[in-house]
Amino acid sequence: MTDPQRDHPPGPSAGSAVPSWAAGVAAGLAAAGCHDVLYVPDNPLSHILEALRRDHPGVRTRLATREEEAMGIAAGLHLGGARPAVLMQSSGLGNTLNAIGSLLVPYQIPLLMVISMRGDAGEWNAAQVPMGRAVVPVLDAFGIEHLAVERGEEAEGTVLALAHLAFGTRTQAACLLPRRLTVPVRGGVA
Amino acid sequence: MTRFEAVRLIREWAPDDPVVASLGHPAYDLFASGDRDLNFYTWGSMGLTSSIALGLALARPALAVHALDGDGSLLMNLGALATIGNLAPANLAVFVLDNGVYGTTGGQPTPTSRGADLEAAARAMGIARTATARGENGLRQALAAVREAPGPWVVVVKVEESAPTARPPLDCVFIKQRFMAALGQE
Repeated sequence: MTDPQRDHPPGPSAGSAVPSWAAGVAAGLAAAGCHDVLYVPDNPLSHILEALRRDHPGVRTRLATREEEAMGIAAGLHLGGARPAVLMQSSGLGNTLNAIGSLLVPYQIPLLMVISMRGDAGEWNAAQVPMGRAVVPVLDAFGIEHLAVERGEEAEGTVLALAHLAFGTRTQAACLLPRRLTVPVRGGVA
Repeated sequence: MTRFEAVRLIREWAPDDPVVASLGHPAYDLFASGDRDLNFYTWGSMGLTSSIALGLALARPALAVHALDGDGSLLMNLGALATIGNLAPANLAVFVLDNGVYGTTGGQPTPTSRGADLEAAARAMGIARTATARGENGLRQALAAVREAPGPWVVVVKVEESAPTARPPLDCVFIKQRFMAALGQE
């Protein structure tokens, strides 16, 4: 049985090379003191979970059943002195809106979000496009700072800077992982 | 037993423990039963009370953390039971103040008034310590059991709706900052 406090067993990406962007996000989380990571799974995010498992044993990862629930758990972790981060797919941001608007923002509960994008360039599934397009306007509507990682070597610094903002100023910040970074198109059309 | 009577019993039973209260009437009753820094009143995010308490329990394993949830609220976030069962923090107790209605919004019936069983749901989600408490004596017995055996606990407390008599402070940042200061944070 796996330890639920450190519940990322080797996933589909275990043993395979961790992409540089995923290693960078994981390193940024660890360097920022985000030792409590909540996630709702997604294929690109599995690389970050693998990087954490492999390289950052001090970071605990915990599964939530829904992104809104992850925000609640993150809020409680913060009340107890932790620096939480939530990993989710862009579709999951849609599940969190009331938690952001009626818990995180008014109570000034800091949180770092790492959002793997769907619906942006490289997408093949029409059902992912509207929510994907709404991610930036939604974050802007809440006044949440967001930065997209364009290249793998930027990932660690981007995560660290956003974490600094979030935990230093008791606000929320989002690191966006575009699809062209996480799932490069290799020719042909879906 | 009214909801206020149940909240007051829980509050008196746990004078030194942090309590996270669901928005609306559970938070109002917690305030009316005795305001203090270790009361965390939510003013929104319906459904997340048990999740907030879970996060705190994970961050601070030496504390006994209690959630005052409602039946309607927990039904908004039933996945929380699976997560609590999965992570199984020994120091968490979730009290579900089950009055069978959405009390804060005008008394519309919830599914528990037609047989939905939140204690059975908790057990089905892997939470070993559960109870359904009826009446003051039933609640006292459940509270004694919660103190005796490690959690996580889910205690469904059957209550009658009662009109709230007071409102907690409205300043969310004040609520949070004094709560964290009382826990020795920041």
